[in-house]
Amino acid sequence: MRLRAALAAGGAVGLVVALGACSKNTGEGDQAVDTGTARTGAIATDPKDSRGPAPEVRGATKGGTVYILRENKISHLDPQRTYSFAGLMGSQLFARTLTAFKDDGKGNVTLVGDLAETPGTNVNSDCKTWEFKIKDGVKFEDGRPITSKEVAYGIARSFDPDLTGGPTYLQEWLADSPQYDAKWDFKANKTSLPPGLSTPDAKTLRLAFAKPRCDLPFAVSLPASAPLPADKDTGVNLDNLPFSSGPYKITKNTPSVEMVLERNTNWDPATDPIRHQYPDRFVWSFGADNSTQTNRVLADNGNDAHAVATGGVPSELIAKVANDAALKDRTVLAATPNAYRLSINTQRVTDLPVRQAINYAIDRESITKNLGGQYGAVPITTLMPPTTLGFKKYDAYPAGATGDANKAKEVLAGKKPALVLGTSDDTSSQESATQIKNALEKAGFTVTIKPIPGDSYLDEVKKKSNPWDIWVDSWAADWPSGASILPVLFDGRNIKAEGNSNTSYINDDDVNKEFDRVLAMDPSKQADEWGKLDERIMKELAPAVPLYVEVYYLAHGSKVGGVFIGSIFGWPSFVNAYATS
Amino acid sequence: MSDPSLQTTLAVQPAVDSRPETTGEAFVGRSPGRLAWMRLRRDRTAVVSAGMLGLLVVLALGSPLIARIYGAGPGQQFGSLLDSTGMPLGYLGGVSARHWFGLEPGLGRDIFIRMIFGVRTSLFIAIGAAVVTAVIGVTAGIVAGYLGGVADAVIGWVTDVALAMPFLIVALAVIPTFSLRFYGPRDAIPSWFAVCVLIGTFAMFGWTGTARLVRGQVVSLREREFVDAARASGAGIGHVLFRQLLPNIWAPILISFSLAVPAYVTGEAALSFLGVGLPETVPSFGRMIYRSIDYIQTDPAYVFFPGITIFALVLAFNLLGDALRDALDPKSSR
Amino acid sequence: MFRYLLRRILLGVTVLSAVSVLSFLMFFALPRDPVTGMCPKNCNAERLERVRTELGLTDPKPEQYANYMKGIFVGRNLGSAQGGRCDAPCLGYSYVNSEAVSDTFARVVPVTLSIVLPAAVLWLALGVGLGLVSALRRGSVVDRMSIGFTLTFASLQLYFVGAVLLLLFVYKLRILPNPHYVSIVRNPLEWGRGLVLAWVTLALLFSAIYARLSRAQMLETLSEDFVRTARAKGLSRPRVVGRHALRAAVSPIVTIAGLDVGAALGGTVITETTFGIQGLGRTAVEAVRQGDLPTIMATVLIAALFVVVANVVVDVLYAVIDPRVRLG
Repeated sequence: MRLRAALAAGGAVGLVVALGACSKNTGEGDQAVDTGTARTGAIATDPKDSRGPAPEVRGATKGGTVYILRENKISHLDPQRTYSFAGLMGSQLFARTLTAFKDDGKGNVTLVGDLAETPGTNVNSDCKTWEFKIKDGVKFEDGRPITSKEVAYGIARSFDPDLTGGPTYLQEWLADSPQYDAKWDFKANKTSLPPGLSTPDAKTLRLAFAKPRCDLPFAVSLPASAPLPADKDTGVNLDNLPFSSGPYKITKNTPSVEMVLERNTNWDPATDPIRHQYPDRFVWSFGADNSTQTNRVLADNGNDAHAVATGGVPSELIAKVANDAALKDRTVLAATPNAYRLSINTQRVTDLPVRQAINYAIDRESITKNLGGQYGAVPITTLMPPTTLGFKKYDAYPAGATGDANKAKEVLAGKKPALVLGTSDDTSSQESATQIKNALEKAGFTVTIKPIPGDSYLDEVKKKSNPWDIWVDSWAADWPSGASILPVLFDGRNIKAEGNSNTSYINDDDVNKEFDRVLAMDPSKQADEWGKLDERIMKELAPAVPLYVEVYYLAHGSKVGGVFIGSIFGWPSFVNAYATS
Repeated sequence: MSDPSLQTTLAVQPAVDSRPETTGEAFVGRSPGRLAWMRLRRDRTAVVSAGMLGLLVVLALGSPLIARIYGAGPGQQFGSLLDSTGMPLGYLGGVSARHWFGLEPGLGRDIFIRMIFGVRTSLFIAIGAAVVTAVIGVTAGIVAGYLGGVADAVIGWVTDVALAMPFLIVALAVIPTFSLRFYGPRDAIPSWFAVCVLIGTFAMFGWTGTARLVRGQVVSLREREFVDAARASGAGIGHVLFRQLLPNIWAPILISFSLAVPAYVTGEAALSFLGVGLPETVPSFGRMIYRSIDYIQTDPAYVFFPGITIFALVLAFNLLGDALRDALDPKSSR
Repeated sequence: MFRYLLRRILLGVTVLSAVSVLSFLMFFALPRDPVTGMCPKNCNAERLERVRTELGLTDPKPEQYANYMKGIFVGRNLGSAQGGRCDAPCLGYSYVNSEAVSDTFARVVPVTLSIVLPAAVLWLALGVGLGLVSALRRGSVVDRMSIGFTLTFASLQLYFVGAVLLLLFVYKLRILPNPHYVSIVRNPLEWGRGLVLAWVTLALLFSAIYARLSRAQMLETLSEDFVRTARAKGLSRPRVVGRHALRAAVSPIVTIAGLDVGAALGGTVITETTFGIQGLGRTAVEAVRQGDLPTIMATVLIAALFVVVANVVVDVLYAVIDPRVRLG
């Protein structure tokens, strides 16, 4: 009796489980999605480009609330400490910077002045002295005008070793040393400015470097150049309640739960070339994972109709979302500049043919399929992602979509190398590792997968002395120039004991010289050179296997519009977002 | 918390859900063990669940052989049977004559064969953990109950400490680092090691229930005449503890053991859910359930097959445990 | 009574200090670097080393422990990098959350309490209710259905049931809002609507155990001599069940409920993860994933505190409910 009752209940559970549709998947609905659009872009030369207001978005309406769903809190809100994608894109709503990218979401980007009237003046045309003129009419949330003093103070406080997490370009360039905080102590000199930084008048900001820094206009597009009045500096506590210079101000922040941004009435659209102020409020809501977020916005229930699921559609829901034509205008699909590669530790795998054989053997199709196919990742064969300015497509080791085990065996010429594959221990990384192992073993390699605790994975592979042969690494450039990719990842002269970005640990004199040559060129002329150098590095050194670029596929509620994937960081941008009723 | 049963079932009290008595037979003297066995054999539920478990155990033990006959290994990928977004082609998540339960979306491995291997892993972990737990718990319980005094107080205190440590959080923080301690950074970690770590973790937290149960039983027995008699005739402590007391309390131990096994099957699934179970390459029930649940809307078949099997496994253990309790409970023979 | 309570509390304090030492040893012995994630792209070893010194991570372990304990009882100064002065109970500063750990807990503990306590009431009511009905109507259809129900849910996973309920009531039928937490003081109705799914899921799984247990207990008690005596004295059946049997049957249930509630408060990890509610459990999981040591330590301590408190409460309740237990 007991048995029968239990079985009946079990059957009911089974029915509930089987409540999905039972139809045949023929795979025919698959159409190619163009996610590989190359970027066109430049630095604005006409000061008109830097003036506001930003052109109106078609169909946008004022008022209402836009909800932004995200699993974890934004790691840092303090602009000087912001470096995560969510932080960089989220801070656009409350932090203005010296320069900014005008981005149409379709791949056309222009670097324009944001707080500055132009994207910087190269005073002596040697990239060593740069000047910015602050616009008239730009104000903080309390109505105070923003002058060059507050911008300079913002840069100065990023020297404070307590304020961890942010980029270090400006500090290192100004101090001309990676030990910038030893060269200039912020806490002891709060009323003065770091070496090289000066404010000749309230409108002018001047940066002088010892070496040419041609990338400076790009570097000050990061929120580290956001202004802050010294009396509003609350040290590490600024991280939970930054002081706004943008169209919105943070009125309430409950870490890991909710953050509310409301209109900043002191923001003047006439000064801002990129931002709008459509909704009354933005509410960031933290806690729901990608799957929950997507399910919520698809259910379109209550506030969720006004919500954006920033986590993106997880691979398990892609089939549901992509096959539903009615959802087409509630999704955004774009390739990001976040490029994944299989780093080869050239200190261990010293044999070039072995590295080339790894390149031939890799099965990119299986790896991307597991991530949701074209809705999750697009295979690449180049070190620079297609979104880089001057990108040139090539395939140094043509092996088809699924790899060429025979060609790899041929290159190996009878060798059967044993490799240790380090991987983060989270599920999706382990699944990718399984794919890589299977593909390499088909070509005669022996692969041992070594799981590393996820929280220390990146630190471990960035140690020069790490014991692994291959591992998956990724790089998202801070600006779409080869200068922020190739020298960072492959210049061997920067190799340190730990914290390396050059995780192939490659050090080739000829290539290093080439880096110096290109970096000293005018930024507008560098683009083609980076494309050539990319191919040369892969052909001559094969320090890594380019795998794929991440694709952002997100869904939002039916009453949100204007959300697009920012071309620079490949994360949703909210500067055009609006709510409808 | 993941598995509410982990703590409670272990502390479960013997129940009195007695079966109809054996009447109308000639009075024959039988040992309590034989009586229990007879009762168990007559219990239809027990027989069916035991059959179910037997089937699963046979499948698990024979998994390498089955893989050979079936023609697919647990790690083998069938990527060509997936569409471009990684979903299995065909009906019901790729169910076909070659792939009885379909394919995993994404990686394209065969669900049936991974499940068979998964049952093996899960059963091994659960039974291993239950055995270790029982050994530690019984020893601690007997010592505490029989010696009393300081020993009892110390063991009771250690039990309190073990109960106070939040199992999942500690497991989450500690498990991933074990392999770093025991293996070099380039050594392959055998799956048996990961399995042992899980067993050890479960044992560290799971023994308290059995210890409390056994202690209670021993306290009620230690002043009984037969124990006094043994002591008076000069038996050593070891003899009294393990030859005199233990045989009298094996019924509750067996019950708590049989209820602990399903709790650990669930526990392994809970750890997998939090990402600290076994490595991805080792087929495990827990990981399978947790991975599949995400696909409930897009590939219900993937959820259904492992889901119904783990449900049947745990249910069968629970039913058998209940039946065992009925059969063994001395009160039911009153 | 007072002396008994005092002894129980003292014992609890020793348990807590043991837990604190254990977790301290365990977590600081782990091969994790607490300064990870502090500079995501361009790290340099010298600066990291200085941070380590500033955080006191290079001090001897006993000294670190003493400082930690001092922080809890009298507060301590953590230095400008960690928000300066940290008042008692100071549980350290989390780099990951950029706030004092005690602030995090002031926020998440009410969430977990709001999930567990109502759920516990629900699962006890449902479980004990089902168990009693089963026991009194033994062998009836109700009994069989109740057993089927409890065995089914005892054999299911929490996240499985949670996911199915979520899909059904929130995404498909849309009769419930997405699970979330609103303070009960701010909006009691919204508080209930936001958490009801978590309560129900927990109640379904936990009540299964209580139903089985209370059925067995009740049957056992009903067959005891004092019940027969009461019946023989001519007391009515409801009176016997209500006044005598129930009381005796409930005490072991209280013990187990206490342990369960204590353990649940220490981390409804799976529930909170399944429903995406930011309570103690999810905070702990995130802390572990991000290597946030001060938060992990604090979670373990608070979870242990809940268990110890629950134990003391159970002991007291036990004495109140069951006249056979004498305190002394």
